[in-house]
Amino acid sequence: MTESTTAVPIPDRLKGANDMIECDQVNKWYGDFQALKDVTATIKEREVVVVLGPSGSGKSTWIRCINRLEQHQAGRIVVDGVELTNDTRNIEKIRSEVGMVFQQFNLFPHLTVLDNITLAPRWVKKQPKSEAEENGMALLERVGIPEQAEKFPGQLSGGQQQRVAIARSLAMEPRVMLFDEPTSALDPEMIKEVLDVMKELAREGMTMMVVTHEMGFAREVADRIIFMEAGAIVEEGTPEHFFTNPDSDRTKLFLSQIL
Amino acid sequence: MTTGSLATTQQQRPPFYRDAVVLKWAVQLAVLAAVIAAFWFSASVGLQSLDDKGIDADFDYITESVGIQIAEGIDTKPNNGGRALWVGMVNTLRMSAAGLILATMLGVLIGVSRLSSNWMVSKLASTFIETVRNIPLLVQIIIIFTVFTVILPGFRDFEDPFNEVGPINGWLHITNKGVAMPRPHIADGFYQWAIWLLIGAIIARFVYKNRANARDEHGGETYPGWIALGVIAIFAVIGWLAHTVFSFLGAPIQTLSDLIGRVPQAAVQIALTVVAFAAAARWIQNFFAQRRTPGGSARLTDDDWFRVIFAGLGAVLAAGVLWVLWPGLSSWIVNSTSDLFRVIGDKFSAERTGAPLGFQRPDIVQPGNFANNGVQGLVLTTWFTALFFGVVMYTSAFIAEIVRGGILAVPKGQSEAAAAMGLSRMQSLRKVILPQALRVSLPPLGNQYLNLVKNTSLGVAIGYADLVTVGSTIGNQKGQFLTVFPVIMAFYLTCSLSISAVVNYFNRRLAIVER
Repeated sequence: MTESTTAVPIPDRLKGANDMIECDQVNKWYGDFQALKDVTATIKEREVVVVLGPSGSGKSTWIRCINRLEQHQAGRIVVDGVELTNDTRNIEKIRSEVGMVFQQFNLFPHLTVLDNITLAPRWVKKQPKSEAEENGMALLERVGIPEQAEKFPGQLSGGQQQRVAIARSLAMEPRVMLFDEPTSALDPEMIKEVLDVMKELAREGMTMMVVTHEMGFAREVADRIIFMEAGAIVEEGTPEHFFTNPDSDRTKLFLSQIL
Repeated sequence: MTTGSLATTQQQRPPFYRDAVVLKWAVQLAVLAAVIAAFWFSASVGLQSLDDKGIDADFDYITESVGIQIAEGIDTKPNNGGRALWVGMVNTLRMSAAGLILATMLGVLIGVSRLSSNWMVSKLASTFIETVRNIPLLVQIIIIFTVFTVILPGFRDFEDPFNEVGPINGWLHITNKGVAMPRPHIADGFYQWAIWLLIGAIIARFVYKNRANARDEHGGETYPGWIALGVIAIFAVIGWLAHTVFSFLGAPIQTLSDLIGRVPQAAVQIALTVVAFAAAARWIQNFFAQRRTPGGSARLTDDDWFRVIFAGLGAVLAAGVLWVLWPGLSSWIVNSTSDLFRVIGDKFSAERTGAPLGFQRPDIVQPGNFANNGVQGLVLTTWFTALFFGVVMYTSAFIAEIVRGGILAVPKGQSEAAAAMGLSRMQSLRKVILPQALRVSLPPLGNQYLNLVKNTSLGVAIGYADLVTVGSTIGNQKGQFLTVFPVIMAFYLTCSLSISAVVNYFNRRLAIVER
């Protein structure tokens, strides 16, 4: 197994930041198939980490483990000082601090855009309706589509839907955002509008973990790139190092196929 | 040149046997004529044959007295056939309404349970569903009825059934004829008290809205439901003590009754005719408005013209009924409305000073009051209970499967998104999954509702006094099956169409806006 012990230089802006997500020897099996093999990584507060790798390499499984949509079977996952165990209180606490954006948006089709955004603040945080709606409108302004507030998700384009999904996650004021291939289901001309929102978020200092195939985004925004293959981390490093001078042969092969 | 040739093609009319418009009208008229002819032919043959056999099919049984005893219902000794059928209808409705509500609740619960991650719960639910769903309903009803009749004490088990005091000093009776509790009944002061309740309900509604708004604006729990209930309770208590306050309403209602009684028949006829034509005109107007496009009125198809003509014909038909076929209808409306107000006015008369409600202690009654010895009071009879449990369990098993299908039809991403946002499983079920599952489940759910109502007719097997049982008795007695059963058919048809209409309404309301 390839050891990934290369010390990654920490950018200046992250010096002294706390650890936000710590994964230690995380393992997961689906029957006989091992989906995650000893995944160990630490993500700092305000850091933007892009996870790359061929399909089936365990990228999505890993980030879905971090808010317990999948259950890891061995190892430790600690988010903001709270360890993910079977304790439902810990799971609730972590889910309320971790926002997630899905490839298929997963907006609620029977609710308006604004109701999609205010649902969790009203029922989980017990915010008053007026306050939740005010915050919701502010978030829609932030992602650039306040005029769509009263429409239903089915009436929006894919890019708009994904921006609503981002606003919906932000409404819970998460400290970490997980993105699971947020642009893979979008038409090419809509990818940019979603990436712009994500870049804006990164600039504002959100801790982000992004699974994506958008190399331009990775190169421009990421503090660190993690490359996975067959459930294990093969290589990690700064975008510059990763794209120009990767260590492992598998990474070189991957880059030669997509670039 | 081009324009010229275009114009000529437009002017050329095809021969009539190739003209789409002519063909369409011809076919529609032919179908209509064929249907009318078929009815005409069957009816004349049928009537002829009845005549030959010397059977006169008539509806006289509706007003003739029938000497039948009905085991339960709003009237156990109806004095004519029409009243007896009405008692049967009410029994069918009672069973259906209670069954629909309980079957829905039970069905949703079991359907959700079958999907539960709790092994025990899910296996119990699937065992229930697979057992109940795969045994004929008739067999289940008979089994339940038999079990009740066997395990509950019969009259022979009492030493002196007519004087023996039951449990709780005679306020409860458990026998194989049913479980009897004290029956609350409307007494003297009820209607005055009802006014108090009505006022309480209106105020409670405002209080509820006020509390709910407060919750939306300032957050926190404001208990709108409980406070509203409290308001109604306070009014109920005050009204119980001070119900005679509203006796003054009696006189004005009597005056109103007299005024309505003086309305001439012609006035009602004219008013109803105007309403009929106005409704038709409005329908036609809306219809044209619908067909209007931004580019001017769309060309009406032949079907559209048919609809417009039929709407007009409907109004003419209504006028015909009002003026020619049944002129008495209008005076009947006048008289019965006047009667209704007189009866209501009487309920508010100053002499009615007694308590709003009374309680009748259940008693075991003498032979003759029922087909056999029975109990009275608020009775859950064995017949009702057996049919009720049978129908409810059977329908709820099917509803459970529909609910399960509906939930499984909601993409997995929906519950994942809800979980990722921090919603609990219950919240996610209530706010995200069930509303979407309901949309998928509603049309098949409507079918199960129709089945439930129709299945209550199986009560005939154990002698529950529903419409079919009562109808068969009357038909037997008078030899008038041919005229009794159309009434039964019309009743079930009305019920089913009403349910369909309600389900369709909700189906439209729940539709998800796509674009």
